[in-house]
Amino acid sequence: MIDLVLTLSRLLLGLAAVFLLGYGWFALLVPRPAAFLRLEKLALSFGIGATVLTLWMLILSWLGLKLSLPVMLVPPLAVTGAGLLMKKIGGGGLGSQTPASAPKPSPPTPYGLWDWVFLGLLAVLFLYASLRAMVYPMWAWDAIATWGCKAKVFYQSLGLDLTCIDAHNYYPNLLPLLLSYLYFCLGRVNDHLAQGLFPLWGTLLLALLQAFLKRCGLSRTRALGVTTFFALNGTVFPVHLYIAYADLPLAYFALAAVGLLYLWFTDRAPRGSLALAACFFAGLAWCKYEGPPLAGTVLLAAVLSLAWLRPPDLKARFLGLGIPLLGLAAGYLPWRIFAALEHLQIGADHIQNLYPQQFLQGSVYLLMALANPFYFGVLWPALILALVFCGRSLWLSPRLFLALFVGGNLLAIVVAYGVAPTSLAEFPGYVRATLDRLLLHITPVAALLIGEGVKELRGGQGALGKM
Amino acid sequence: MTLRWKTWAVRLLLLFWALQLVWLAHYFTPEVRDLAWRLASHHTGAAIRQEDPLYRWLQILAGIIPPQATYVFLDNYESGKEIEARYHLAPRRHVLLPPETPPDFLFFALRQEKAAYLIIREGDHPWESKEAVAQSPAFHMVPVPGPGLLFRVDSARLLGRFYD
Repeated sequence: MIDLVLTLSRLLLGLAAVFLLGYGWFALLVPRPAAFLRLEKLALSFGIGATVLTLWMLILSWLGLKLSLPVMLVPPLAVTGAGLLMKKIGGGGLGSQTPASAPKPSPPTPYGLWDWVFLGLLAVLFLYASLRAMVYPMWAWDAIATWGCKAKVFYQSLGLDLTCIDAHNYYPNLLPLLLSYLYFCLGRVNDHLAQGLFPLWGTLLLALLQAFLKRCGLSRTRALGVTTFFALNGTVFPVHLYIAYADLPLAYFALAAVGLLYLWFTDRAPRGSLALAACFFAGLAWCKYEGPPLAGTVLLAAVLSLAWLRPPDLKARFLGLGIPLLGLAAGYLPWRIFAALEHLQIGADHIQNLYPQQFLQGSVYLLMALANPFYFGVLWPALILALVFCGRSLWLSPRLFLALFVGGNLLAIVVAYGVAPTSLAEFPGYVRATLDRLLLHITPVAALLIGEGVKELRGGQGALGKM
Repeated sequence: MTLRWKTWAVRLLLLFWALQLVWLAHYFTPEVRDLAWRLASHHTGAAIRQEDPLYRWLQILAGIIPPQATYVFLDNYESGKEIEARYHLAPRRHVLLPPETPPDFLFFALRQEKAAYLIIREGDHPWESKEAVAQSPAFHMVPVPGPGLLFRVDSARLLGRFYD
């Protein structure tokens, strides 16, 4: 019993160090951290901390230094601390040129019945997912084939040893390095305890969604309602809360990157949000192979929206997008350079010829997945309804950015299937193994758009309007 | 009028969501039951792995194969057992070949990869090189009871000729 308590304490301390490192960077990048809600600070800090820590671990391996807890933690924490000290002395910050017109958070109101219902449902989900993750050993396919296997090898070899992994060793390594960091904290490979990372990450994703929805103007009850609606719709999200896949972290990074940009578009973002978004673009690129194209679609949607909406400060906005672009480069280049120096073969198996048959078949599978409640319940039909509610505002407001991102990615999924080099017999299995995960990456943003639709019900007498 | 149809549309959607919640609870019930049983019986974490004969066998193999050695694992990828072997035998270098691999290519691969061990999971697919391996002096079977076979390979004796 004492052993279990000590082991859990080591895990919690390890996770706390990631939060601390992330919060240090958060406080460095944001001129006034108090402008963010406590929940936002918590949810954003972990992603930043995980990105910074694992990039530092990559640099250590690059330098040929053996990984150990002091080497992994002390230098980044010390540098961050020194940076914060300098900021305090200098009284400045690395904020963006974002207008400081963010609405002040409304004063706390007592929780109503629906708040408790939604919180209760989320608590049940979190309890189940946490136990499911930490009671069972690592078992899911990609978890033991790729992410968990790499984490184990990195821990055992005290560095980025890729010699015994011949499959997918060109994949970015945020997740394996973070898992191996937890093994260092635990003092051994304990994959079932380290899997506790995933329900935590899912909870932070939900916290971020809830915070963004509130910043978009939804009441606490409605924001909680949309968050619960997202979390408990179909099997894909709940299952990813307890399997060690990189798709949930990628969905978290995508939501943070898109959400912060969207708030910046709508002038609801506190100062420094663009710099924060840059960290999440870096996380996107460093988290999974699909990350850089996903980040590319965010930027493309942003550019197209700006070009269409033509806000008065168009030039400044275009220039502002350079900040997340820098973040993308910061997350993408280190690994690519490392891979080039180590002569790792980068897989190009996803880009071949265009197969029209697969393109059409992929479209049908995609439509079926969007409609099939098994995957995402009624979330995607709800999105259609939300788009209808948004009406003309979809074309005349920054909502266009969210719609372009979601729509563009749905199109990108079909195109990706159109160029996938699989045989006719393999193709259905290939789609089955990947489609739900590709949709998971963009579903939190779809929930954000649903929140915009819910806003259109304000003052109405509908079921949500009475809450 | 606009508000009315919106209200009804939202109500209908929420009704479907509520039904979906009931189905979701039903879908996860077997897993919840298993989870509750494991918690009540303190049968958690690494103990769950011990239920799997493949895992127990791989643990014995891990005691035999040195960590710096390379092994060839003969199995079909789709069975999902090969990834388990790779995970549990890491950091040993792992090379996968399918059961249909003909003897000449198997011997070539063993020599090329400097593999010291050959592991064959006896699954649903018969392995093509069975006879050749049995007849070759380069292979020495290590008797480990379990769902497969382990051979120590003397790659210096693999000359690369057909059936050697």
